[in-house]
Amino acid sequence: MITWPPLLALLIAVPMTSAVLTPAIARGSARRAFWWALAVMSVASIIAAMLIIRVSHEGPFSYVVGGWVAPYGIELRFDEFSAAIAIICLLGTLAIIFSKEYVTHAIAEPRIPYYYTLLLLNLMAMIGFTVTGDLFNLFVFMEILSLSGYALVAVSGERIAEMAAFKYLVMGAVSSLLVLFSIGLLYALTGSLNMADVAERLDGAAAAPLAVAFACITLGFMVKSAVFPLHVWLPDAHAIAPSPISAVLSGLVVKVGIIGMLRVYQIAYSSGAVDMTGLNTVLMWLGAISIVMGAFFAVFQDDIKLMLAYSTISNIGYIVMGLGLASTYGVIGASVHVFNHALIKATLFLGAGAIIHQTGKRTLSDLAGVGRAMPFTVAAISIGAISIVGIPPTAGFLCKWYIALGAMQAGRPFFAFALVFGALFIFIYYIRMVNAFYFQKPKDPSILEVHEAPATMLGPTLLLAALCLVMGVFGRLPLSFIEPAVNRLLAPLGGG
Amino acid sequence: MDVVDARAALAPAVSLVCAALVFAAADHTFWRRFFSISAALFKLGIVMSMLPGALKGVVYTFELVEFTPGVALAFRADALGMFFSVVSSTLWLLTTIYAIGYMEREPNRRRFFGFFALCVSTTVGVAFAENLLTMFLFYESLTICTYPLVIHEETPEAMKAGRKYLAYTLTAGAFVLLGSIWTYQLAGTMTLSQPGILSIESGRTTLTALFACLIAGFGVKAAIMPLHGWLPSAMVAPTPVSALLHAVAVVKVGAFGILRTIYNVFGVALLKELGVCDWLAALAAFTILAASVIAIFQDNFKRRLAFSTVSQLSYIVLGAALLTPLAATAAIVHIANQAFAKITMFFVAGAIQRTTGKTTIHELAGIGYRMPYTMGAFTVAALSFIGVPLFAGFVTKWYLSLGALEADAWWYVVIMLASSLLNAAYWLPVIYTAFFKPPPGTNVEVHEARWTLLVPTLACAVYVIFLGSTASVPGMPLSLAQAAVTFVFGM
Repeated sequence: MITWPPLLALLIAVPMTSAVLTPAIARGSARRAFWWALAVMSVASIIAAMLIIRVSHEGPFSYVVGGWVAPYGIELRFDEFSAAIAIICLLGTLAIIFSKEYVTHAIAEPRIPYYYTLLLLNLMAMIGFTVTGDLFNLFVFMEILSLSGYALVAVSGERIAEMAAFKYLVMGAVSSLLVLFSIGLLYALTGSLNMADVAERLDGAAAAPLAVAFACITLGFMVKSAVFPLHVWLPDAHAIAPSPISAVLSGLVVKVGIIGMLRVYQIAYSSGAVDMTGLNTVLMWLGAISIVMGAFFAVFQDDIKLMLAYSTISNIGYIVMGLGLASTYGVIGASVHVFNHALIKATLFLGAGAIIHQTGKRTLSDLAGVGRAMPFTVAAISIGAISIVGIPPTAGFLCKWYIALGAMQAGRPFFAFALVFGALFIFIYYIRMVNAFYFQKPKDPSILEVHEAPATMLGPTLLLAALCLVMGVFGRLPLSFIEPAVNRLLAPLGGG
Repeated sequence: MDVVDARAALAPAVSLVCAALVFAAADHTFWRRFFSISAALFKLGIVMSMLPGALKGVVYTFELVEFTPGVALAFRADALGMFFSVVSSTLWLLTTIYAIGYMEREPNRRRFFGFFALCVSTTVGVAFAENLLTMFLFYESLTICTYPLVIHEETPEAMKAGRKYLAYTLTAGAFVLLGSIWTYQLAGTMTLSQPGILSIESGRTTLTALFACLIAGFGVKAAIMPLHGWLPSAMVAPTPVSALLHAVAVVKVGAFGILRTIYNVFGVALLKELGVCDWLAALAAFTILAASVIAIFQDNFKRRLAFSTVSQLSYIVLGAALLTPLAATAAIVHIANQAFAKITMFFVAGAIQRTTGKTTIHELAGIGYRMPYTMGAFTVAALSFIGVPLFAGFVTKWYLSLGALEADAWWYVVIMLASSLLNAAYWLPVIYTAFFKPPPGTNVEVHEARWTLLVPTLACAVYVIFLGSTASVPGMPLSLAQAAVTFVFGM
């Protein structure tokens, strides 16, 4: 038996303290701030890798903060779902690298250290959210995450940036209230805030408040993850933010809602006190509608980042549908799509960011023919597009395959149908995009004279595109990694 | 007998590597040609080296990577797959030579030859797919890879045809995916190595729906009416692409998918019990006749060819749907017979267009005086389609008619005869116009297409005669088709 150092505590403590120290260390220099942020995320990535190795050997484990045993103290809990920190660290690191050149144009130099502070805080909060075993901590991390998120949207200085951030804030505040209210209710009902403990004490709790608590907390998380029709804040916020931030927001931050829902399900299923069937049906339908509506809105966009933002709504639809199906394949597919969609969407947003940075244009009609000038970036975007639509052998395909299989397994072939044909809708606007980049005559010939983005922007984009392919061919790894967790989750339902 | 052999995976991989090299070669014409031709030769060599084994009943399998737990990206070169890949790799070589000549002055040749190689890679991938998932992977990739070829000229008309092509084929892909998922759920496996993996216990309604789903998916590319709309529009592509699309890659992949669905997913016994194949046969028979009638009224050479393709493809579907060994032989062997005859015709159409600029049939008066070899090749192909003995098409019609009688469905024999007449009605006038109408003007010097266009054309035409006159010689495609039938029907 190996004794592991208290890595779990360090995973949160290191980025949190480093984040607030950033302005002091950078002392106004963008370069120092960048290297500091990169170093912090590298350390966090190494810790995350070790934790994931441990969980794959030992299964879930806990860290007890300050020696106070749960349920009295705060517990950090690391299970297979927490392995989402892998993608948080990976994307966070790449977003920071991408930011190096990108933000020098968007933000005045003295303010750049604050940008990195916010980004690190945002990433730290996501990590904390993913590994906490305590409901109140869950809320706290969610709030840090949201507040830094609002600020990061506003930071770009675009014309409607403040407006987009404000819209995000209003919706976000409502969802936070809903979550806080539910946590309060659960505390009143059980007298505990520790998730595992709450699950044990739920038996015999009054049915009506319990139902309200679960409904409200799920609703709150649904706003955070932008399930249709609670998505209205997302498109502007994700399209306006600086591109590395868009990648983080679209790839990771919306997934916080999903991870939150998974935690809620863990409590609900293991306690058996709440009947989730009704909620599952709602999720399935909203998932199906999200897929179609996200695609429907995206088709009419001309701004490439808005298209990508709407496509996130469709993909959240996949995930929510998979969760709602509550069958083994469905939940595995949904969990892995949390990871794969982050990869794919980051590829697309970083690629789009590189194009916007180099050309100064952001609409499809202006960008016609850009593929000839920036072949590598556009190739990466094409791989991302093929992947997000779910053409094998790319990362998106396996998730689609699993979720559709889950629909069949749950005895609901209609949802497999909706998923597969919803993906066709999504294809329409990605074809438009690739068509415009590669096969259309440039509107303004000067676009043929732009060059590829600098290495700090091109490198992360290409790496992510390569990962989209690798995760498609070796997609078995995350699928079999997450399987024990899903089996444990669904075991109380009778094998799924 | 199954043998693990990397050649089953190498055959699709060769073209993939070739595509990468062509893209990397940038604008070096020599290297592009060198890579294309040598990859085509290499691939043909690999496939041919497996042929003696395949004829003896050896099946080469190779598992590349486990794709999802339980389902691998795996290849399996059984008799049916070998048949298809022999045809497509032979024709790839010929079409590559032809395309080099045809595309000499076109822009974007790098993109053209790169995606051309990718198409062949995916086609052989479909042929050797061990399971439905692998097959879907290549089926869908083929759609993506042919798109840049269809819109090669980037004219508004080409872009429109490209959109139509994608709309049809991607929807088809969605059906195939749905069908694969469904099959996996019902059967617990997706392998194509068995003569049928589903059983009647899944319920008649479910199985019928699943059959409809898979046939709709593959039927789009096999251009069963009313799913054929994309094919005539896609004619805006350069002629070598049309030849590849309509004789080998895209449409045959659809027909091949239908064969796999009938023989390896459902199995003959189960389909006889379900009775759904009667409907499919009727639909195929309708397509054979209706498409021929439409073809008569087409004046554009390539459009007439397109509708002829729609008609001919349904021979394969009909043969498969009759569920008898002889009809199955006809279905499989027609993959080759139709491919060689149809590609001859496309080569002719392209050669005429490149040499004289003519694209419609009424302009062809007296063309036989100027291009005797080219039009001679055309005549061979036309006679094959009409079903004259000693030409390839006759073999199909003979076995298909026997198969229909075996299935107690004599009316399909009548349909075969009617189809022969219709084929005569739209191909003979072309021959008449070319050879018996006086050429315009007094200049009747022989002016053939250049050799890169002529040689592949003649090679295909000669092979059409070979296929027809020496069908029963061991080692010819017919024997391979019979080997496949033996397995499928458990004889």
